[in-house]
Amino acid sequence: MSAPAAQTPSSGPMSRSLAAVGGPLLMIGGELRDIFRMLFLTLYYLFRKPVRWRAVVEQGYEIGNRSLVFVTLVLGFLGMILIYQSAYQAQQIVGDLQLLGALFLQLLFREFAPTITALMIATRVGTGIAAEVGSMVVTEQVDALRMNNADPIQYLVVPRFVAGLVMTVVLSVFAVVVCFLAGMFVADRLFDVSPTTFFNTTLLTWGDLIAFLMKAFAYGIAVPVISAHAGLSAFGGSEGVGAATTKAVVNCSLAVVFLDFLLSGFAFVFLF
Amino acid sequence: MIRFEGIRKRHGAEWVLDGVSFEVPAGSQLGLLGPGGAGKSLLLKMAAGLVRPDEGSVSVMGRDLAHLNEVEMAELRLNIGMLFQNYALFDFMTVEENIAFPLRQEGRLSEAEIAARVDSLLKEVDLPRAHKSYPNQLSGGMKKRVTFARAVARKPPIVFFDDPTAGLDPVTSSKIFRMLNHGRMHTETTSIIITHDILGLQGICDHFVLLDHGKLVLHGTREDFERSERRMVRQFWDGTSDE
Amino acid sequence: MTSVLANIGRRWLSLSEGVGQMTLLTLTTWWKFWTTAPDRIEFMRSLYKVGVQSFPIVVVTALLTGAIMVIQSGQLVAQYEAYGLLGWGAGYATLREVGPILIGLMFSGRVGANNTAELGTMRITEQIDALRALAIDPIPYLLVPRFFAIVSMMFLLTLVGNLMALVGGTITSQFLLQVDWRLFVWSLREYLHLSDLFNGLIKSVFFGIAIATVSNHFGYHTSGGAVGVGRAVNSSVVFSAVSIFVLDFVIGYFLP
Repeated sequence: MSAPAAQTPSSGPMSRSLAAVGGPLLMIGGELRDIFRMLFLTLYYLFRKPVRWRAVVEQGYEIGNRSLVFVTLVLGFLGMILIYQSAYQAQQIVGDLQLLGALFLQLLFREFAPTITALMIATRVGTGIAAEVGSMVVTEQVDALRMNNADPIQYLVVPRFVAGLVMTVVLSVFAVVVCFLAGMFVADRLFDVSPTTFFNTTLLTWGDLIAFLMKAFAYGIAVPVISAHAGLSAFGGSEGVGAATTKAVVNCSLAVVFLDFLLSGFAFVFLF
Repeated sequence: MIRFEGIRKRHGAEWVLDGVSFEVPAGSQLGLLGPGGAGKSLLLKMAAGLVRPDEGSVSVMGRDLAHLNEVEMAELRLNIGMLFQNYALFDFMTVEENIAFPLRQEGRLSEAEIAARVDSLLKEVDLPRAHKSYPNQLSGGMKKRVTFARAVARKPPIVFFDDPTAGLDPVTSSKIFRMLNHGRMHTETTSIIITHDILGLQGICDHFVLLDHGKLVLHGTREDFERSERRMVRQFWDGTSDE
Repeated sequence: MTSVLANIGRRWLSLSEGVGQMTLLTLTTWWKFWTTAPDRIEFMRSLYKVGVQSFPIVVVTALLTGAIMVIQSGQLVAQYEAYGLLGWGAGYATLREVGPILIGLMFSGRVGANNTAELGTMRITEQIDALRALAIDPIPYLLVPRFFAIVSMMFLLTLVGNLMALVGGTITSQFLLQVDWRLFVWSLREYLHLSDLFNGLIKSVFFGIAIATVSNHFGYHTSGGAVGVGRAVNSSVVFSAVSIFVLDFVIGYFLP
């Protein structure tokens, strides 16, 4: 028996389609590996080496200050439209708006506040970090740091990581307040639901709060690390900075959505 | 002191560096010449441990860089000063903080000693009152001088200069060359200088290396370059071109 | 006291200037769109690039979004044992709100940021000036194709994305919530109307216009070197995001 005529390994349609799928997968896998490596290094430097607390405070101020108005606007409008839509539908189908506020509060904690806030932070802060760090890379300042015995991760990433994590949690709490108040406003003005009826915490469980914290924490870790990683992998002048900034916001957004999915599922199965 | 052996580095499908070997003896100044630029800066970064070659080895002060871990590399870097092509000044720090940075990271001097050293360095590079300025407030020539001050702040025995006079007017260029010369005469430094300014460097460098398309064309003294009949050498040394 | 006022005044002026620039640019873009024949190659290139760039991301996001909405609605539905409402609860919010918003945000991030970065780099490397020196008007050449590509792709992708979200929701409903997929689909068909889908699609068109306008503006008017490009991208995605939420509210309020 003779072997069938061999096709050159890299040209058959089968291997081409495998390459088409495998290529991106490998790339994604490589990126993920680099991101996790950066996370481990960041945590290592955080716990084993002195932290530049002044830089942390500076970064925290930058992040918090610059995002406050942004988060307020976004969550305000979101709260208004959510209540508007839900109340309208609820009136038609259920007819009773008693529990509107209570359910809204639950949903805020579980889902909308941490996730939308994180997406907004990814937009505002993620691009900011990637742009800053990316510019430093392409102007060789990161190399200069290394030459002067300062590790870029300890010097640049750790302060942003700590500040980002803290601020994400804080802003998420702030988001709950803003969004709820906006919804309360709409419910009161357009649907005659008094604020006292609307402000109803009876349905809130510990599970909701735990889910909230889990998500805020996860997002707060993901966004700075992914953005810093995007920034540090910049190359090639101003194009590189633009590419790094884009990569940061895309990767952060995907990560947030994916983590949301995972954590929502987890909460559903284990907490409720 | 610094030795490159069989260095090869690939960028995509091309070899940016293809079999480069030469040595820089202690106390000598080497001028690194050649068109383009990617190969030369890359060699310098390899000697600083910022980039790894695909093949071949780099040794600095007798130690093979490939065998050093991050901590040992950091220790070695205490002996190296680097002047980057695009200044690489930290734009979120003042001039004073930029120059003090390597000294603070080393952790050997007190704050008062550091301040004194920064002061004397700024005087040496003719920027006696630039302490509180930020890099983006300075001109190109001034930034180059600050970068120079930062590179030599720790009085390192080895210094790498990546195009110290690129884009500078003739007056500022000659100032920089004077500083390089001055540094050489007062300390036993080993240095590699990348430049296109051959005339300016003739008085400073003991020997030269000419690279072209990643290959080493000639390694020798000024006389070797003057006497060589190879076309590439003549073009570069005399600044002429075929067409 | 005067310094605070001066500060506010300055901010207001620069904001107005920015809005003015953006408006002028948009109007000029629209005008050139109707009056000048666009460069066919650039047009096709833009469409292809925008579509290819954003398709995988939007699909993934949409699937996950559908799943998340089902999980969240599932908790509520389980509390009241109203499993027949699961499709309605998840589907309604997805088609009208969450779908267009998340797809819009993702699109803004992937395409808007990239667009601004490209235009910004072209600006600071003087390529735009070079075009004008060659007597090529940059607006119909660069901006019109991108504008058109972004708006049309946003619409198409929301259409596809909404579908994907419902698919994601169905799968999650079956496997995670143990609500039979047939019940889920029945619930969708029973309670959702075409108007819900259209509402979401109309929003997506407006989101697309916003993203195109904002990203074109910040890219075209970049200044300040590499750092400027980063800052432009930052501003671009932030303004796009705010616009998306504001438009969402306005359209949701005024459209049934």
